[in-house]
Amino acid sequence: MSINGLEAVQLSKSYHVDSRQIVVLDNVSMTVQGGSFVVVEGKSGSGKSTLLSLLSGLDRPDAGTINLVGTDITDLSEDELAPFRNRTIGYVFQSFHLVPSLTAFENITFPAELNRDRQAAAKAKELLRRVDLTKRMNNFPHQLSGGEKQRIAICRALINSPQIIFADEPTGNLDSVNGEIIMQLLLELRRELKTTLVLATHSREISSKADSVVRLVDGRIENSSEKVNL
Amino acid sequence: MLHFRFIFRQINGSRNQAIIFIFCVALSLLILTSLGGFSSSVRRSMLQDARQLHGADITVHSHYPFSEPLLKAIHDYEQQGIVQGALVHKFYSMARNSRTEKSILSDLKVVEKGYPFYGRVTLLSGREFSEVLKEGAIIVDQVLLDRLQAVIGDTLQIGSALLTIVDVVTLEPDRPVSFFSFGPRIFIAAEDLEKLELIKKGSRIQFSYLLQVHDSALVDRLAEELSASTVKPQENVKTFRNADSRIKRFFENFLFFLNLVGMFTLVLAGIGIQTSLYAMLRESEYTIAVMKSVGATNRFIVIHFLAMVMVLGTAGTFLGLILSSLLQLYFPTLFAGILPANVTLAISWNVVFEGLVLGTIVVGLFSFLPLQRIRNLKPSFIFRKEIGKAPRGILSYSAVLLIVLFFVGLVIWQLEDVKIGLYFMLGLCALIGMTALIAQGLMFFMKKTTPRSLILRQAFRGLFRPGNATRAIIITLSAALAVIFSIYLIEQNLRATFIEAYPPNLPNAYFLDIQSDQKKEFADILGIEAEYFPVVRARLLSINNKPVNRDQEREKKGDNMAREFNLTYRDVLLKDEQMAEGDTLFGHMNNELANKEVVPVSVLDTVAEIGDINVGDLLVFKVQGLPLKARVTSIRTRTESKVRPFFYFVFQEELLKDAPQTIFSSVRIDRAQLAVIQNRLAATLPNVSVIDIASTVEILAGIMCKMSSIIQFFTSFSIVAGLLIVISSIFATRMTRIREAVYFKILGANYSFVVKVFTYENLIIAFSSALLAGLISHVGSWIVCRQVFSIAYQPLLSSTLVMIAGMLVIVVGVGLGASVSILQQKPINYLRDERQD
Ligand SMILES: Nc1ncnc2c1ncn2[C@@H]1O[C@H](COP(=O)(O)OP(=O)(O)OP(=O)(O)O)[C@@H](O)[C@H]1O
Ligand SMILES: [Mg+2]
Repeated sequence: MSINGLEAVQLSKSYHVDSRQIVVLDNVSMTVQGGSFVVVEGKSGSGKSTLLSLLSGLDRPDAGTINLVGTDITDLSEDELAPFRNRTIGYVFQSFHLVPSLTAFENITFPAELNRDRQAAAKAKELLRRVDLTKRMNNFPHQLSGGEKQRIAICRALINSPQIIFADEPTGNLDSVNGEIIMQLLLELRRELKTTLVLATHSREISSKADSVVRLVDGRIENSSEKVNL
Repeated sequence: MLHFRFIFRQINGSRNQAIIFIFCVALSLLILTSLGGFSSSVRRSMLQDARQLHGADITVHSHYPFSEPLLKAIHDYEQQGIVQGALVHKFYSMARNSRTEKSILSDLKVVEKGYPFYGRVTLLSGREFSEVLKEGAIIVDQVLLDRLQAVIGDTLQIGSALLTIVDVVTLEPDRPVSFFSFGPRIFIAAEDLEKLELIKKGSRIQFSYLLQVHDSALVDRLAEELSASTVKPQENVKTFRNADSRIKRFFENFLFFLNLVGMFTLVLAGIGIQTSLYAMLRESEYTIAVMKSVGATNRFIVIHFLAMVMVLGTAGTFLGLILSSLLQLYFPTLFAGILPANVTLAISWNVVFEGLVLGTIVVGLFSFLPLQRIRNLKPSFIFRKEIGKAPRGILSYSAVLLIVLFFVGLVIWQLEDVKIGLYFMLGLCALIGMTALIAQGLMFFMKKTTPRSLILRQAFRGLFRPGNATRAIIITLSAALAVIFSIYLIEQNLRATFIEAYPPNLPNAYFLDIQSDQKKEFADILGIEAEYFPVVRARLLSINNKPVNRDQEREKKGDNMAREFNLTYRDVLLKDEQMAEGDTLFGHMNNELANKEVVPVSVLDTVAEIGDINVGDLLVFKVQGLPLKARVTSIRTRTESKVRPFFYFVFQEELLKDAPQTIFSSVRIDRAQLAVIQNRLAATLPNVSVIDIASTVEILAGIMCKMSSIIQFFTSFSIVAGLLIVISSIFATRMTRIREAVYFKILGANYSFVVKVFTYENLIIAFSSALLAGLISHVGSWIVCRQVFSIAYQPLLSSTLVMIAGMLVIVVGVGLGASVSILQQKPINYLRDERQD
């Protein structure tokens, strides 16, 4: 079966603190349909970020396999993963993680330029227009507000038209109004581009907009509620 | 009340910067104590004891036998028991070993009993000098034994005498180093002087009367009284207090130059101290802001950071002292060949104390501005991470002024010369100011450039990440490199002019003191065509009736007008001469010249410049006791600055041909043949001195190379200061760099992309610094070569390329070394860092 979404099978991850072993993820399996919007939900410390980092290839599981849009990334080396990430995945983080030495515009074009995309500047300008930040394009991250930074981060995640976006509590550092704007933008843009979105949050309100919700409790999936055509 | 735990935490929190701070302090201390130790050792063992360096309380020098009134005055004092005297004759002559058929130009010293009055001539056998040097015996340098393949017991022919080698001299108190001599030393007892038959009219002999004054309070008065009995200007009375020795001057100049280099390195180490402290405080900014927001006073905070600086400064001081005592072990190797055997290099407590005081001041001065900044830090910093700005305004300017004043004071104190001290500081400020200005311009340009290549663009961007000390790095690296490279360029150019490119058509052997009646015999022995120049020895008494001030002249660093000159006569220009002023050598006949009261003279432009002599000036010479009035009719200049005989003053033949004279000859000859001729001359014309220019030049080149390597050794410490700042800058931006690397990777860049960005960044820094250094050193060396040495300047392009390449390798290497831990970070570990950008 060729997967245009994501399939994770029996993922486990544990950390060692001193000599104690902390099991963070325990035998987690999940499937995400291509083009869908999936929310990973759970209390703080339940393992959401860890799961997302495994699914997106930022970290390795102790056990299990991950297939991302048709590629088994479980055993890819760091240097094999890099170009794959560049073209296939977009990231949005809670703490924005913009490159401090680059302007807003350069932050957005960076992944496209890595991909040698001649249209990088044009695409970035279009995205900036969409998020209404054309006037801020030459600001450095430290000259932007939290909400502005996250809008830039979304543009950056989208510039290479990735097949899947991972967003880890993208509104966690923002007030409710700004959070709302960000969510709307994210959902709107992903719908237009038909991108798969995997989003971690503990907000019920956001979960309610998802195609499906994965609930994590202490590193295990409690129940996967498939929502049928809302 | 000090919270030691807090201080410790701060240091531990900024370990890397703390270590760099300590190294910079250690570096300045290392420079202060090792240079201080070296100078004080040299001064103590060689220059301090002026009596020993002088060999007597009073000496009278002359190039002619002493005049009757003077001898009478001395004998009177001797009879009254006030002084004890010893006559010393010094001159060059060939010494020939008839057993090995080898000969060499030697530096003879014929001494009477009593010499030396101070210090001790030490012999290889350990025996007493005065016991060994008897009639018929000679004591020689080891070099002479080697060169003549002689052994103790061999007999040497010197002049007309046959004398037996009885011992080897290991140390001569009044000549601690021998590299100013054209040949090895031979001590001869005064009883043998007559037998040598070398004291002839016109030959160059230095007559010295050494006097020991029993009551040291009388030295100055006696010197004055003796001076009244001398024939001026040829007889010259000096006391050990006002005597100037060439060796002393040489070492003073050398120490002086080393001191300049030391000061320079100290300034750069100071910049390192400042940079690392800035970085350390920047790392603590958050802590400081939090502390302030919960009510800590500025006083509390400043005191604690001051305490931290003191702790680190002390650690650096100790490290510096340890390193400098280790460095002492290397000194004998470093200085081998230019220091006499009796100099023991050791750091005295005095030097350590001096170093401590100066080191503390340096640390204090350079810490002032960074510490000042934490006062200005507002608690609101927690909320808005503004990029910290260096404090401006009256305080910061006065801090800079204080630093400049301190160094001016230090330089003047160390060099004991206000004018040169000020010049040096001015030069240093110009150098650093100029590099700063160009660096600023370069950085402006870099900020504006957006190369097409993504990697390059990232690298350029990286230069401006907050906390990077890009400008400080470029300034220190390029200033340090400029100084080192200039020294190299100048040395290489001097070498190229005088040594390597020794043109094949230039004479390589000089023959001195050929008597007029020996000319034919000499020409027969030589067997090939040679140039002959008559030489008449004379002194210059006055220029335009203004007497030449001997004391003032002798102070001059270059040539002076008070020495004895070699006059010559001929009617034509030499091959390498041109007229600079006047159309013929001796002008046109006029009344004055026709009356023969005044004779025409042609002057070389170099001496004209030293003595401020112009066409039409009246010069009065003293030739063998008789005055000779001369009118300057022309000024000549030399077309090449090469080793070729030249004469300052040229007269008409008919005017000087009857004066007592010798003949000087120069010839181009291969060295094997020269050895044969040298030997035959030593056997038949022993008064003729042979100077093997090639070997003399080789010895000089050796000394020059040695000195420049010593200076470069000390200058290289300034590069270390620059590299420490590179490391400090990388550590200071460690977090930013890690985050950048992590983000690059998340966004799909691979490992090599990140490595390339960091490498290019250092490449840009290294390349700019090297280019800047190259530019400054070429301009500087060009000026020095053309203006100071008047030699042709070769830019040495390949060396420049090697310098640039070396710089690239070093900086990129150090940069990558310091970045290894950054590059190895896994992205995931840093995404958890909740700090916002
Ligand atoms: N490097 C690590 N070493 C040890 N334990 C870790 C490490 N990273 C995460 N953990 C632990 O794993 C657990 C899950 O962490 P994770 O960040 O995935 O939770 P989360 O669901 O994203 O929480 P939040 O909603 O607060 O972001 C936590 O208990 C955390 O303490
Ligand atoms: Mg999380």
